[in-house]
Amino acid sequence: MADTAQATSALVRRNGPSADLAIVAGVELGSAILLWSFLLSDRTAVIVALLALMGGIFAALQLRPALEERIVAAFHDRKRFATLLGAVIVLIYPFFLQGSGYAFHLLIVSMLYAVLALALNFQLGSANIPNFATGASYGIGAYTSALLALNFGVSFWLTLPVAAVVATAFGFLLGFPSMRTKESYLALVTIAFGIVVHQLLNNFDWTGGPNGLVGIPAPELFGHSFARPIEAFGFRLPSQANFYYLSAALVGLSIVCAKRLHESRVGLAWNALRADPLAARCQGIDVVWFKMLAFGVDAFLAAFAGTIYAFYVSYISPDNFTFLVSVTIMTMVIVGGMDNTLGVIIGAFFLTMLPEKLRIFSDYRLLFVGVVVILFLILRPQGLFPQRARNYGEHR
Amino acid sequence: MTPLLEVRGLTIRFGGLVAVCEVDLALNPSEVLCIIGPNGAGKSTLFNMISGIYRPSAGTVHLDGRDITGWPAHRIAAAGIARTFQSSRLFNDLTLIDNVVIGMHSRTKSGVLDALLRPGKARAELEAAAEKAGELIRAISPDLHARRNTLAGALPQADRRRLEIARALASDARVIMLDEPSSGMDDRDTDALMADVRRVMAERPGLSFLIIEHDMRLVAALPDRVAVIDYGRKIAEGDFADVRLMPRVQEAYLGQKAAEHA
Ligand SMILES: Nc1ncnc2c1ncn2[C@@H]1O[C@H](COP(=O)(O)OP(=O)(O)O)[C@@H](O)[C@H]1O
Ligand SMILES: [Mg+2]
Repeated sequence: MADTAQATSALVRRNGPSADLAIVAGVELGSAILLWSFLLSDRTAVIVALLALMGGIFAALQLRPALEERIVAAFHDRKRFATLLGAVIVLIYPFFLQGSGYAFHLLIVSMLYAVLALALNFQLGSANIPNFATGASYGIGAYTSALLALNFGVSFWLTLPVAAVVATAFGFLLGFPSMRTKESYLALVTIAFGIVVHQLLNNFDWTGGPNGLVGIPAPELFGHSFARPIEAFGFRLPSQANFYYLSAALVGLSIVCAKRLHESRVGLAWNALRADPLAARCQGIDVVWFKMLAFGVDAFLAAFAGTIYAFYVSYISPDNFTFLVSVTIMTMVIVGGMDNTLGVIIGAFFLTMLPEKLRIFSDYRLLFVGVVVILFLILRPQGLFPQRARNYGEHR
Repeated sequence: MTPLLEVRGLTIRFGGLVAVCEVDLALNPSEVLCIIGPNGAGKSTLFNMISGIYRPSAGTVHLDGRDITGWPAHRIAAAGIARTFQSSRLFNDLTLIDNVVIGMHSRTKSGVLDALLRPGKARAELEAAAEKAGELIRAISPDLHARRNTLAGALPQADRRRLEIARALASDARVIMLDEPSSGMDDRDTDALMADVRRVMAERPGLSFLIIEHDMRLVAALPDRVAVIDYGRKIAEGDFADVRLMPRVQEAYLGQKAAEHA
């Protein structure tokens, strides 16, 4: 099914430019409104209705591949408009949140998880390397920057790159066993790594042990403290808006990285070793190096997310970075769609918000989350947005 | 003239089984050498040693006078030996173009930092590779070219073999090893395959082919020389017209009884 959809993508009828604009605007505004209603409603009936609506949309996309191709083609032809409109929506979104700290919190956490899922996607999605330690890299990033800020008064902006470099070094270290071990053992090595990091954070004195690190200072930018509200155009946004914009910027950066790597020789090499490692070696691809590279890139982005998280909540403990966090990130990639940037982001938002919004089911919450996820996977077996073929020769 | 590819005393043991035993081969520039022999004789294993997938138990492989024995497969590919597989191994979930572009991996350079910090340059390199890949596919088959943006996994058997050859050609290798390229092809496809090999050899002086083959029509028409492998040993080498008449070769192929009757 997916094959034929991709085969016909080049042949899809393309309507006039105004139809394209309408499609792009409709999809982006529609998604924004859907997300908005999901965020701000807490009535069970509304939430169930919204989930049903989403299910209906995905079912329609699955049954009518031409519909999906049409939308993709419109976004492809109107790339600049789509990006611009998306940026504007992200920029003005906070003004519509009615100052709800809870909605801001959900969005920030969703965006940080989107970055983590994009990070893991380089491995799991692009190269089919099962890494169960993204949560550990996230933690290494968070602890490195928190320790630097607390012990040496290093500014947030400087801890960002330092934490990324430290986590990347650990990432390469974790990638080392890929020289020797086979796939399944590599997965075990990453699980062990995640557990060891968690245990060390729990047991060292200088990491605060199980109590973690407290009182991480809020970042400052041009004299504006991120602990203070934003006042603009007569509006007053809660202090979380600072971290909202920061996280959004990081998501933007991650998308750019994901796109550039995907559409490069490196992305192709990762895809090759996903499809057939032996054949990849025979094309001159140094499989070990490219696997380690994927570990490095994963850790690099995860550390950025960790740093922002640490400064956002101002308090971190080992329990923020458990094995379960890694598994959650992995689920986001698989549900969203392996090797599809948009899919992975949607997966992260979906799986961050769903458990929160199903709180009404209290003890049975996780059961319902599982049921909803399975239902969506039945609707879209390849993930919400499956992997797509590369385009060549269409760049200016 | 020093041979382009020289294999000396190549041997590999799997536990007690000696799959390939002291095989010598020399391949000159611009030459086609066919390797024939019954199933299980050790032909594919020989390819696996030359391309670095298996490490030989004994013996050496030289490419252009350089000892490449025991090198990892990716370095051997970069050094100029490309290959196809008996059961074709394409990147099934990628497009035909992507498959062939990946074949150019060692001829292209962009790394992670180029991709992230100089995207224009990295992208231009990839676009150029994609264009070259398109031309390679078109030269092999206009039908394949029409399907270049579809997934390789959907191709029928004969097209899979063609695409694998295009991918091998993409690396600008000096030696191309084809493992049973005509299997799954009908006579017309096989003729096209032979025409392709001849065309490519005319276009690329110095390029040599090492071909494992069962189709005797191809073996009779295409190669300059033929080597026969049986039970892991090379039992004959020379012109196909001469080699086919040797009793040892007939025994290997037909069994001893049949050879006596013939
Ligand atoms: N990795 C391996 N482990 C054990 N035995 C092997 C391996 N690879 C090949 N062999 C054995 O080597 C022999 C030669 O196989 P092969 O080279 O595939 O023959 P063919 O001439 O048909 O290509 C067979 O007996 C096969 O079982
Ligand atoms: Mg064989």
